Amino acid sequence: MAETVLEARQVTKIYRAGAIETLALASVDLAIERGEFSALSGPSGSGKTTLLNLLGTLDRPTSGRIFVSGEDTTEMREAARAELRLRKLGFVFQAYNLVPVLSALENVEFVLLLQGAPAAERGARARQCLEALGLGELCDKRPNEMSGGQQQRVAIARAIASQPEIVLADEPTANLDSKTAEDLLDLMQRLNRERGVTFLFSTHDPRVMARARRVVRLVDGQIASDERRGE
Amino acid sequence: MGTLLRIAWRNLWRGWRRSVVVLSALSIGLAACLVLVGWSHGWVRQMVDGAVSTRLALLAVHARGYQANPDVERTLGDGGRALAAALERFPGAAASPRALGDGLAQSARHSARVVLVGVLPEREARVSDVARAFVAGGFSEATPIGVARALPGVALGQALAESLKLRLGEKLVLHAPGESGLGAFRVAGVFRTSSPGFDRSYVFLRLEDAQRLLGLGDGVHEIAIALDDPRQLGALAAFARAELPVVRPGEALEILTWKEREPRLAAMLDLMANTAWVAYAMMFAGMAFGIANALLMSVYERIREFGVLRSLGLPAWRLVCLVLLESLLLTLGGALVGVVLGVSAVWFLGRVGVDLASFTGGLSQLGVGSTIYPRLETLDLVSPLGLALATALLAAAWPAWKAARLRPVEAVRHV
Repeated sequence: MAETVLEARQVTKIYRAGAIETLALASVDLAIERGEFSALSGPSGSGKTTLLNLLGTLDRPTSGRIFVSGEDTTEMREAARAELRLRKLGFVFQAYNLVPVLSALENVEFVLLLQGAPAAERGARARQCLEALGLGELCDKRPNEMSGGQQQRVAIARAIASQPEIVLADEPTANLDSKTAEDLLDLMQRLNRERGVTFLFSTHDPRVMARARRVVRLVDGQIASDERRGE
Repeated sequence: MGTLLRIAWRNLWRGWRRSVVVLSALSIGLAACLVLVGWSHGWVRQMVDGAVSTRLALLAVHARGYQANPDVERTLGDGGRALAAALERFPGAAASPRALGDGLAQSARHSARVVLVGVLPEREARVSDVARAFVAGGFSEATPIGVARALPGVALGQALAESLKLRLGEKLVLHAPGESGLGAFRVAGVFRTSSPGFDRSYVFLRLEDAQRLLGLGDGVHEIAIALDDPRQLGALAAFARAELPVVRPGEALEILTWKEREPRLAAMLDLMANTAWVAYAMMFAGMAFGIANALLMSVYERIREFGVLRSLGLPAWRLVCLVLLESLLLTLGGALVGVVLGVSAVWFLGRVGVDLASFTGGLSQLGVGSTIYPRLETLDLVSPLGLALATALLAAAWPAWKAARLRPVEAVRHV
């Protein structure tokens, strides 16, 4: 039986703005297993980003529980959640992912630094990671010297450099042209197949959904379908 | 911390225009403060140095009660010789016995109230700056001139000589209270010190002439002491208080530093030191708002970036450190540039002096010459750097708190 990396149990999220309450997620149950290449899909406002944020411990559910590698994160203090994110989760955001004043290499190194890796090891590991992804020539470039696609690739390098349990990617192709998006998906797919990196996307990009081996469709804060596909 | 420092440094250059504006405001403000403080120190120090190096001396020994009531009869016996010799056992000390009294100086057509100071010229030259302030002649001109050939010589200030219409070698008469208080003298020297008030009223004559004029016998009123290193004054005072009663067991003495004799002057020095703090504090308090504003803007501009960092697992306290480091770099950078600018300006003005000839009416009353030489003490440089540090931390507190309070989930979505 495959190991569960992330799990949401009866998760409900209600946003409150003054007297107005908006139900974003209603009693959602979802488990993501090691090695998955999955997508959360659905129309805008369906709750996919909310669920991704909850699974990534960036937000707290109104009720229900979130488990990361079997550990209940619901009652954790913020500092412990930050530590958990650092050790077990990788993130790729839609845009503006990288620290603008750091080079590609320094951006990747930064996560290793936060993890407490020794200085000598950090540089070598970060370079190795970038080179493995074919980004060796970008090492010394700052984000403003890179294209959007290159920045996203460096963000992926940073996400996997810390060897997380899972990489959570929020609309990673949203700001990219078709060719660049396809290249990025190729890269992530390759990492999934060759290195066993687990990916979970929130997306409404058909290209991402076409590649995903599991597509969880959300509608009005509930799971409408959970489709698993073969290779 | 190294990487955070690197990020902080680069962040400052990201909004370089804003950083340069804040840094310039801080450095120019601090430089102006330093010039102002240097100016105040300069004239107060000149006033104190002028007084100490002419009429006061660093330390003075009198017969007990003389400070409160400078009665001409309150003298030290033995011409003060034993006391002076004992005081000179202290390393770097020079002692000069003085006989003091009020008198009247009279030339052919003019007269003026004066302070008579009887000294041993060779000893007085080691204690007082008057010996170095002669514009003509000296304490005891060796070659008498003209009609006053046989008369003993006196030295007087240029302002007094001008008001009495006296020139070198000309005759004057000195009156002092008492039966023997009248004598004819000739002008043997004319001096000009940094204190116009001193130059208008002090007349130096030889000790034996003063003793005769004031009817003192062998008595003197004061032993004035100077030191090669004035910082040893405390040790000298302790030495004198321990040793002198042993040397002259029967004599009731009063041993006072210049600060004890002129508490108002000492208070002015303290006041100036406090004024410097007030000036710095006001400047930095104002700057704190400017720095806080710049940092707050910079934090607001980077909310999304901070959100990403927090999402990656950067602890809130490290984000606080980042904002504090940016503030420290900006503030200490500005303070350092300000100190360099200010010290350079004060150094330059201290060398050339600022001539206030047209405004010196008021200053001369305080015993200061027309040219002010600004100067700075070490503390003047240390205190603004210390205050800059405090300002940096205070100014960054709110922006850092804002940054630490950001919720990652909201920050990464911030537009």
